[in-house]
Amino acid sequence: MSTVPEWLTDERESAALASMLSPSSSASLEALAAESKAITLRRFGRTISLYAPLYLSNHCSSGCIYCGFASDRTTLRRRLEPDEIERELIAMKKLGISDILLLTGERTKAADFDYLRKAVEIAAKRTQKVSVEAFPMSVAEYRTLAECGCTGITIYQETYNRERYEALHRWGPKKDFLDRLETPARALEGGIKTVGLGALLGLSEPVEDALMLYRHARHLSRTYWRAGISVSFPRMRPQTGGYEPPFPVDDHLLARIIFAFRIALPDIELVLSTRESAAYRDGMAGLGITRMSIASRTTVGGYDDNNTDKGQFDVSDDRSAEEFCAALRAREIEPVFKNWEPVFNGPSGTQSRTVIQEEMHSCH
Amino acid sequence: MDSLQLGSYSFTSRLILGTGKFSNARVMLDAVRASGTQLVTVALRRFNREQLEDDLFGPLSQLPGITLMPNTSGASTAAEAVRAAHIARELSGSPFIKVEIHPNPQHLMPDPIETYEAARILAKEGFLVMPYISADPVLAKRLEDAGCASVMPLGSAIGSGQGLSTSEMLGIIIRESGIPVIVDAGLRSPSEAAAAMEMGCGAVLVNSAVAVASDPPKMAEAFAGAVVAGRKGFNAGLMQKSGSAVATSPLTSFLGAKA
Repeated sequence: MSTVPEWLTDERESAALASMLSPSSSASLEALAAESKAITLRRFGRTISLYAPLYLSNHCSSGCIYCGFASDRTTLRRRLEPDEIERELIAMKKLGISDILLLTGERTKAADFDYLRKAVEIAAKRTQKVSVEAFPMSVAEYRTLAECGCTGITIYQETYNRERYEALHRWGPKKDFLDRLETPARALEGGIKTVGLGALLGLSEPVEDALMLYRHARHLSRTYWRAGISVSFPRMRPQTGGYEPPFPVDDHLLARIIFAFRIALPDIELVLSTRESAAYRDGMAGLGITRMSIASRTTVGGYDDNNTDKGQFDVSDDRSAEEFCAALRAREIEPVFKNWEPVFNGPSGTQSRTVIQEEMHSCH
Repeated sequence: MDSLQLGSYSFTSRLILGTGKFSNARVMLDAVRASGTQLVTVALRRFNREQLEDDLFGPLSQLPGITLMPNTSGASTAAEAVRAAHIARELSGSPFIKVEIHPNPQHLMPDPIETYEAARILAKEGFLVMPYISADPVLAKRLEDAGCASVMPLGSAIGSGQGLSTSEMLGIIIRESGIPVIVDAGLRSPSEAAAAMEMGCGAVLVNSAVAVASDPPKMAEAFAGAVVAGRKGFNAGLMQKSGSAVATSPLTSFLGAKA
């Protein structure tokens, strides 16, 4: 078995975060919240940027024990065809959404790279900002996606504990822990501008996962200095399959993790999705979180035909875009729908030092 | 008239306001009005032609007496900044462009190489180019030679509120520059804006310090007053600093006195 890279196990790297997350931490939650709020205000102002997921397909080749899309679920499989994607984008545009995250399961014949590339092309013509949360790809594939207008990818490691990872991923390509760990770097090598990282809280010991997630973010930001890094904090939600998370994370611990990340990484986007309740999201807005999903549908075809089938997971905050924005405004926070310009699309040239050095060497 | 001259444009206010980070457009507009500014920067990426509630450009363009300076924030290369400048000019009609190129989206430090290249191209094309740069005296002169209307060195890291931590380099840039030097980024308090003006800056650009204040319009007004005071101080001629005490009645005043 290949060994994990050194950066993932370097405890010195995450010592400051560890002290904030320790059960015996001297910093009260309230003190962390105050510091996190002050940093967020200074760096991001009184704004929250908004995005929405668009589920393209629920076909999947993997057997993740905790996922409603796993290939042994009896869920009706579906993928959106180009005209349906167009209709979904039009429906989302009516909600004001211009920052879209396209999602699929693990790679299958029904939803492969070519399918995803076409979806990106369609979306890039209709919206300002397109990101992808899908299966791991090669550097060349990521470069093609970037050329088609994809600016970001999101790929959660799910858990950074290798033993837990192996147990949770029963079959399929996602079983390869190291391949997934190296995927964000491949995307950046291919010219994707931003990567979203995360651990699915509940699957493994949460503080351990948080520390390794932090090391992952630091490693990438050092190696790919032009890259934008965002970190999400998804907690397990009820889903088809009924898997009960063995390490449930309560509201207080999740808050402590978010505040600690903001203090330790003052400049990066921290994301909270509609997995969390309306009250929790409202409370967290401006306290560290700077980016949120809105009016999410986790079903394939959720926006245009209002498909009410069970999605990948149950959303908790099911408020409309209008209701959610009104709640933000009541807290004197501006919901920002457009914070990007397609003129900045295209591969970013986020090559690592190694690639640049190789290029220089080949010039001599 | 002691005005700020940028190309063929003349401004009596020497305070420039940024428009991000406000809690809503109404507060932003109130702050712009209270500041008395005549020049406001807005990011092309915050122009939203499709959803007016989210758009910063529309309401700003309706304000009387305001010239807009679109910026290229979001660009990570010269090519992207040039394309953004073309679109911004098309949409806003403004000849000004604040060239902002920060390839690292975390700390938003300006890229000197890409910035120079974009500024050179855009100045040739007739834009009034206002490049956001690190406090680098050599780069500032190179940009002046390239035909920029001003240079905009940072006082400290953007959004940091660390004030004029680059003051030593700013002093050199101001001393050597033949175009206005506008301190952009890092200012926290009106007194820092006054200090920048006393040093001889042509203007200051403020955003975070106003937008995240408890009362943004009041803070904008405070900055406006500080900029005026600082400029008056500069024009009046500040006394020289001395390393030791200098008595107001010198000990040698009797020398040469008539008997």
